[in-house]
Amino acid sequence: MTPVGPLVLATRVSFLLVVGLTIQVGIGPEVHVLGVQGDLMLLIAIGGGLAAGPDRGAAVGFASGLGYDLLLQTPFGLSALTYALVAFLVGSLQDSVLRAAWWIPVATAAAGSAVGVILYGVLGTVVGMDFVGVSLPKVALVVGTLNAIAAAPTIRAVRWATGTQDSVRARSVYR
Amino acid sequence: MAPSRRAGRSRLTLALLIFTSLAVLTLDFRDAGVVEGARRIAATVFSPLRGVARTVSDPFSNGWHGIADYGDLEAENDRLRERLDELEGERVLEADATQQLADLLGQLNIEWLLDIPREQARVISGPVSNFAHTIEIDKGSSAGIEEGMPVVNGAGLVGRVVLVTPNSSTVQLITDPDFAVGVRLVPDGVTGTARGNGRGENLIVDTPLGAEDVVEEGVELTTSGEDRSNYPASIPVATVRRTEQGSGGLTLDLIAEPKVDPDRLIFVQILLRKGAG
Repeated sequence: MTPVGPLVLATRVSFLLVVGLTIQVGIGPEVHVLGVQGDLMLLIAIGGGLAAGPDRGAAVGFASGLGYDLLLQTPFGLSALTYALVAFLVGSLQDSVLRAAWWIPVATAAAGSAVGVILYGVLGTVVGMDFVGVSLPKVALVVGTLNAIAAAPTIRAVRWATGTQDSVRARSVYR
Repeated sequence: MAPSRRAGRSRLTLALLIFTSLAVLTLDFRDAGVVEGARRIAATVFSPLRGVARTVSDPFSNGWHGIADYGDLEAENDRLRERLDELEGERVLEADATQQLADLLGQLNIEWLLDIPREQARVISGPVSNFAHTIEIDKGSSAGIEEGMPVVNGAGLVGRVVLVTPNSSTVQLITDPDFAVGVRLVPDGVTGTARGNGRGENLIVDTPLGAEDVVEEGVELTTSGEDRSNYPASIPVATVRRTEQGSGGLTLDLIAEPKVDPDRLIFVQILLRKGAG
């Protein structure tokens, strides 16, 4: 298969992020369990790490978080930093240990999402955010579960956007 | 590419992204206009997209809530009918008292809450993340809304406008830990500062009362409307549920339940009060 050019790549990823943000802010607040909603933008970041490896994945995660930050009143750049780190971590793990079983990306999405929520809480506390009234373990658990449910279609979409759907990496990571 | 070189490139990419994130975080903390401008543009662009997504999802969402919450809705409906009857009786007495108060305040040239023009708006989105304490409404600067204006509904204070685009606004909720408003105990007149304490949590009210003072459960709190306050006086804010000793044990903190349930907002009113920001 012909590799995807940088312009096409940027266009596809931008399109994916706009669709993701629209779903997150338009439908996300309506879909919640125990008062907690899923985090599609974090899932896209994790999908970036899984599909495209640590460096491209981190870039996708950064863009995903920065787009989300634009629509929040929380510290600008905090989601970008968190999601880039999570995507890099997932991409690095995938490079070294992940193999082809179908459940591995789903479990990775769940674990990565939970780690992302906790990391957001830690970094947010460092930059002065107040998390009173928020149970981070509960949020991490619910976000992990909801993101695991949405993992399969989201990772497929990220694979398409990053042009990795037919690569050896993608085949080994997600069928 | 050799594994070591690829790992080196990955680390370099990550370092650049971390550096960029820290740079934008710094810009935000320094209140750089570029961040606010970018947020305003993003809110303007996403407002119609959000509306489309909401329109598509509403039937499914309503259907789900109808099935899942049917029993609760029936019980709530009964309670509301009963409450409506009570309120109808109180309304006549209050209308008379309100008119007398407005006349008196008018003679003294003091601002009266019900004289402030209002703009009705619909809530188009709740908090868009698990850590956000804002909602979106469907009116913006084209309807005369400005940043800092108080937002209320029939129950009381909802929050304040923090970001305005031509056709939508972002409202910081009263439960945001960064939200603070001057309040007055009714009828004592003691003033204090109510602060948000997170979604679903009660407000915490700092007061000058001593630790030995007694404040009964059920005492109402309204905005104090003191000098330079962003909020006019007499907006219902919360009801005292219990008291706690303040830090140091010398003062009394009040734990108060907000009048407004931020998770159930459908319509709100923006008080078009110039210079509120």
